[in-house]
Amino acid sequence: MKSIQSIRKVTLSLSVLFLLSFLGCKKRDIVDLQKVTYPTTAEVFIDDFTSDLAYAAFGGSDVKAFQIDKQVTYGGTSASMRFAVPDANSPQGSYAGGVFFSKTGRDLTGYNALTFYIKASQPVNIGEIGFGNDLGASSYQVSVSNLPANSNWTKVIIPIPDPSKLSAERGLLYYSAAPLNGRGYTFWLDEVKFEYVSEIAHTSASILNGANKVLTSYIGVTNKIDGLTASFNLPSGINLSVNLSPYYFTFKSSDSSIAKVNAAGVVSTVGTGTVVITGKLGSLAAAGSLTLNSRGNFVHAPVPTADPARVISVFSDAYSNVPVDYYNGYWAPYQTTQSADFAVTGDHVLNYTNFNFVGIQFSNPTINASQMRFLHVDLYVPNALPPGASIQVQVVDFGANGVFGGGDDVTGSTTINAPTLISQNWVSLNIPFSALNGLTTKGHLAQVIFVGSNLSSFYADNIYFYYNPVTPLQAAPTPTAAAANVLSIFSDSYTNVAGTDFFPNWGQTTVVTQIPIAGNNTLHYANFNYEGAQLGSNQNVSSYGFLHLDYYSANASQLRVFLISPGPVETPYTLSVPTSGWNSVNIPLSAFSPVALNNIFQMKFDLGSGDDIFLDNIYFWKIPPVPPVPAPTPVYPPATVISIFSDAYTNVAGTDFFPNWGQNTVVTQVPISGNNTLLYTGLNYEGTQLGSNQNVSSKNFLHVDYYSANSSALQVFLISPGPVQTSYTLPVPTANGWNSVDIPLTAFAPVDLTNVFQLMFVGNGNIYIDNIVFHQ
Amino acid sequence: MKPTKNKWLNKFFVASSVCMTASMILSGCDKKAVQTLPNRSWQLVWSDDFTGNAGTSPDSTKWTYDLGAGGWGNSELETYTRDPQNVSLDGAGNLVIRAVSPSGTSFTSGRIKTKGKFSQAYGRFEARIKTPYGPGIWPAFWLLGANVDSQAWPQCGEIDIMEQRGQEPSINHGSVHGPGYSGGNAVTKAYGLTTGRFDTDFHIYAVEWGPDFMDFFVDNYLYERVTPSDVSGTWVYDHPFFIILNVAVGGNFVGFPTTGTSFPQSMYVDYVKVYK
Repeated sequence: MKSIQSIRKVTLSLSVLFLLSFLGCKKRDIVDLQKVTYPTTAEVFIDDFTSDLAYAAFGGSDVKAFQIDKQVTYGGTSASMRFAVPDANSPQGSYAGGVFFSKTGRDLTGYNALTFYIKASQPVNIGEIGFGNDLGASSYQVSVSNLPANSNWTKVIIPIPDPSKLSAERGLLYYSAAPLNGRGYTFWLDEVKFEYVSEIAHTSASILNGANKVLTSYIGVTNKIDGLTASFNLPSGINLSVNLSPYYFTFKSSDSSIAKVNAAGVVSTVGTGTVVITGKLGSLAAAGSLTLNSRGNFVHAPVPTADPARVISVFSDAYSNVPVDYYNGYWAPYQTTQSADFAVTGDHVLNYTNFNFVGIQFSNPTINASQMRFLHVDLYVPNALPPGASIQVQVVDFGANGVFGGGDDVTGSTTINAPTLISQNWVSLNIPFSALNGLTTKGHLAQVIFVGSNLSSFYADNIYFYYNPVTPLQAAPTPTAAAANVLSIFSDSYTNVAGTDFFPNWGQTTVVTQIPIAGNNTLHYANFNYEGAQLGSNQNVSSYGFLHLDYYSANASQLRVFLISPGPVETPYTLSVPTSGWNSVNIPLSAFSPVALNNIFQMKFDLGSGDDIFLDNIYFWKIPPVPPVPAPTPVYPPATVISIFSDAYTNVAGTDFFPNWGQNTVVTQVPISGNNTLLYTGLNYEGTQLGSNQNVSSKNFLHVDYYSANSSALQVFLISPGPVQTSYTLPVPTANGWNSVDIPLTAFAPVDLTNVFQLMFVGNGNIYIDNIVFHQ
Repeated sequence: MKPTKNKWLNKFFVASSVCMTASMILSGCDKKAVQTLPNRSWQLVWSDDFTGNAGTSPDSTKWTYDLGAGGWGNSELETYTRDPQNVSLDGAGNLVIRAVSPSGTSFTSGRIKTKGKFSQAYGRFEARIKTPYGPGIWPAFWLLGANVDSQAWPQCGEIDIMEQRGQEPSINHGSVHGPGYSGGNAVTKAYGLTTGRFDTDFHIYAVEWGPDFMDFFVDNYLYERVTPSDVSGTWVYDHPFFIILNVAVGGNFVGFPTTGTSFPQSMYVDYVKVYK
């Protein structure tokens, strides 16, 4: 969700003001002072407007709510301020609110409170009253919320948190009052003035409502310090809390190379590490702090590529989002999930913390997804993935009535686990609606719900529904396998088996054509139900490891591919559809057992229902039987390893790599580009007797590099005396050359890690092995 | 320390012409210029400066406790305990008496006295105290006749050197209670600060007591003199009195705490000194 946003820089011009100060009992003479030009008038409204006072009503308020009242006054004075709060939905306005401001500005540094008397026509809490609202930046705004008033005149004192800030203040009084239970009322203010009240004491201040908040951050993330309050003990001995603007505070970053904070309390993360932001009100330390654990540069979610015309977006900077009720419903009472959403240089990211489940709702209006085929979600797990972590994605349709409940709501869900779910990397999910089991309607989608298991937090981005065009816009990816290791049926990249009939008449409805897509010949199955292909000649593919296939379908809901040998002997392999683009699969040929791999003469696709399938790069391939390059050199510091077999380290002395355990396997050591490598030929099982018993309990992983072009099964065992042995399965054949694995030693429980004396490999085929190393 | 109804308030407005500016009032410069006090040569005979480790109880050779609830004759709400959370030293040279509200409707606090350990007739009784605040909080530094067990209150006599109401943190009260002038009819005087409040810093509260006078001081400023002719009954201040320090919550003198009263509330006593 990366997009470029312009940053509006606000330049504040500061005028330098010199403040007179008197210390001790002696008056000091100060020369060459620029005179403060603002008047120090204290009165706001005693019996009339003071000379510089003006009034402006807030937008949407009843502009006539304020009037001067000569009947109801405090202490028999000649006039007061009357505020008539309208009824809700009054045509004159729905509330009363406005600002009394000085047209010239005043120097209020000699006072420490705004005071006035208040009474009301009935007991009521006035929504907000304060000062410092100057109809502009309102840098020094202070207010009291829900100020109680009743039919007695009561004196109100609103302390100025730091009078030194108010050397040129225009906002003298503001108020905002809403109807009570839908009905209006009247309240009065009188004797409104600034004064110095010496009995104000015990000031305290807090940021973030006094909480010590901890957040994960990244370079480019900004956080706003909010929850700003100051509390004062009034002459009556009770405490009064006021809301105040950030400019009263001095914010401090413990390390400005990690995060900077400006006068408005906006914290910008600029580096990597841990930093603490604190605040002071004058010389008083505020309670509360913000700790940021910055992980450095943020990895943005991949930029979505779906055509906006085929997208309905819920949350993405790449698309226009539909109206969303909320991105976190805080569903009581069981939800624990909090939101700590952030933006990195304009890329907005949903950040769910303390996660158990959370719902996003978009019910006004609901989404008609009848054309849509996929839900796209990008997920990022910022912490290490705990064992058993999963996240279930639910999509809720409110049914024909379009509202929650009514017996017609349906929910579809799918669950994501490891290895799809990984940590510290974006996982891009393209979930076909067909995989959302239970979602039988999709005309009134209204919610996406995430339900977690063993997962405390995650980020989400680019949540949208989409479908792909029937015909792919791009060619299938160009194959990378070397031609020498390929037997090609259909590809522009290789020489194909000659004479193959891609459109034999097997009674199918499918119509096969070859169309160029971006200049690349592609098979198109239109009106697909099933479709065979008769190879130009029978093929022996038993020396190959994989069938490669690129396929694309925006509208299929089922698809299988078969290899067929005479008999016919045929075995299907299921391909997931629809695709969210070209899908490239490498199917191990063992998956087609018992088809005779030495005599393949046909292929077949089935389970269509009038869909469109595009195919390309159908070929058999293998990795070379002998590795063309040595295994990658390990990079663990020598001091941290116990090496069994590696040219990179000093190995445990005296190890026997070919003990006679009655096996068929033949072990040799072969140099590959000068790097000693173990070769197990004709593996059934093969032990390794360590030169001495090893305590590996301080290590965390067993590292092994292995390579096999023809194996279909491989396990490695760790063994302690008893023998106590535990296996770990290694995927074969190695589709991409050398496989490097780091097996957590915990996977070998209950083997005694303080006393390991043997290793064993069990499987088949020819295996190259290198860099058997225990490391931390 | 019985209720005093119909209390009249007399604020002393001290001349402070020398050092005032529009924005700053200098309290240190103003008072000494206007009073000429008799020079009494006091000799220290008893004191406690409350040195000791934080959380420890005050010196048991000098102090004992009043414990329990029941209102203490004034419908007070607190239960007095000897728990260090209510009465202990702070490690910085102060005694702390702390009123705590565990539930919002129940309160614990502390009250200590020198009864049976120290008492004296006449002299100067002085303490340096930072008082607590908030509606319904009632701190006091006072003396009670040591013959209270044989001569019931008010016959035994009571001298209140410092009493404050937490909702009036700028005002101190000095009073004497005796037969015929006790409770709401005590001889009393209020002393108000012209600027600031008593609870924001330490102040010195003292009485200087002779056979025929009782002088009440705040920060060595004499604000009240009571003589036998000022009391409507018998002058009973001719025998030893002992010292009491306490923080009451609620009661007839101060009213009930409100939701605006913040707890805990602590009275800090730097020292108590008695002179002859």
